[in-house]
Amino acid sequence: MEKKFEDKVKELEGIIAELENGEVSLDESIEKYTKAMKLVKECDEQLKNIEEKVNKIVTEDGTLEDFNPEN
Amino acid sequence: MNEKYLTITAITRYLKAKFDSDNNLKMVFLKGEISNFKAHTTGHLYFSLKDENSKINAIMFRTSASKLNFTPTDGSKVLVAGRISVYEATGNYQIYVDEMLEDGMGNLYVAFEKLKKELAKEGLFAESHKKPIPKIPKRVGIITASTGAAVRDIITTIKRRFPICETILFPTLVQGENAKDDIVRNIGRAENFDLDVLIIGRGGGSIEDLWPFNEEIVARAIYQCKIPTISAVGHEIDFTISDFVADLRAPTPTAAAELAVPNMVDLTNHISQLSIRLREAINKKIKYERLHLEAIKSSYVLKTPMVMYENKKQTISLINEKLNTLITQKLAKEKEKLINLRSHYILNNPEMLYQAKAESIASMAKRVTELFYNNLKVKELKLEYIKNSYILTNPQKLYEKEQTKLSGIIDKLELLNPLKIIGRGYSITYLNDKIVKSLKQVNINDTLNIKVNDGYIMAKILKKKEDK
Repeated sequence: MEKKFEDKVKELEGIIAELENGEVSLDESIEKYTKAMKLVKECDEQLKNIEEKVNKIVTEDGTLEDFNPEN
Repeated sequence: MNEKYLTITAITRYLKAKFDSDNNLKMVFLKGEISNFKAHTTGHLYFSLKDENSKINAIMFRTSASKLNFTPTDGSKVLVAGRISVYEATGNYQIYVDEMLEDGMGNLYVAFEKLKKELAKEGLFAESHKKPIPKIPKRVGIITASTGAAVRDIITTIKRRFPICETILFPTLVQGENAKDDIVRNIGRAENFDLDVLIIGRGGGSIEDLWPFNEEIVARAIYQCKIPTISAVGHEIDFTISDFVADLRAPTPTAAAELAVPNMVDLTNHISQLSIRLREAINKKIKYERLHLEAIKSSYVLKTPMVMYENKKQTISLINEKLNTLITQKLAKEKEKLINLRSHYILNNPEMLYQAKAESIASMAKRVTELFYNNLKVKELKLEYIKNSYILTNPQKLYEKEQTKLSGIIDKLELLNPLKIIGRGYSITYLNDKIVKSLKQVNINDTLNIKVNDGYIMAKILKKKEDK
């Protein structure tokens, strides 16, 4: 889940704001609409296929090991 | 209908019972600062206890008040023990204080306040320096003890809210003498991991337990840390220096986790909400354009187009007419003009034009010759006059005056001429080309040049004799 998710959300919000204030021409708004829908699909997918990230713990010599707080 | 409405005393009494029945409130220990303190004549003490963000009323009856070993005043920090209940008359809850002693921890507080003021003055708490916490982090660093509630709360909260983000724990001593160095060391280690946010904190404890987070080196380490930091030390009411220095303060470790990562549910809702707004916006746009088109289509002009050029036609014919009338009028006027001209006197007898001209030329010629002759005569007379003017008849007059003046000068020069004098036997004595006038100018053995009529004599002075 790269950083881009946050940028995608921002872009999505930008397009919606533009469409809502209605200044955009018809052709442009159709174009923006399709782009926005693509973004929505992408964001959804990213959130849906969550693969659980394992927690790590840094040992004395700086290496990473798996860590489970319960034990 | 109105039996479900309670009286005020009923509800207050119910609340009071609630307070009195709760055994947590039977014996409560509070730490706070006294404010608006009033000692009543009856010996009872009325005041309130406060900390940074909340306050509670307090009352101490005469019997317990008499056992105090210090005189409480506004601002004094105290530890109290008592029970909390509701005072029905006012409906306020308050603490009935049985025991109160001065808060022994003064010196630690003093140290805390001192360091806090110092670092504040140095600008370490400046809002402008605080980095924003990223909304959607990929990797969260955690600096706390590897065992205990804090780390468990943080990790489980992150797992619950945002499992797709990775957490890296830096096991750190959070209590005791060398905790502060361990915290600073781990902040340093955390910086060479690609972290988006760093949670630094620990669970609750006494002021001594939390003290490492009040240490200056920890404060400076957090300040300089390049990763955005969230500090979560102790419980809500505990404030440590690292809370002020960090980019964000969380009241508890769990809250820190909630501030560090977004909630998956919120995110998915946000996305679906955005798509709804998107659909609404585009539909609205299309509907608007369609209506707009309809309006245009039904506009008057499109329906009856000939209307447009009809009135155009009319205007053109109007203009046409106007043009014709103008032209004919113009023509008539010109014709008339022509006729008048023809009958004009001059055209019928042209010679009178040059007749007048001829006469005027003749008269002009006569006048010119007259003028010429007069002029001539005047010139002649002038010449005559000049010829016999006095100067021309005796020119010597001009230079006579100059002449006499000149001869006068010559005579005078004659007189002054040294050669004449020499001629009569005088001589001029020179010493090195200077004329000698007095004895003082010369000394014995000087050589003199004496100018006589026909040349120079060189002489040496033997003696000087002064006239008496």
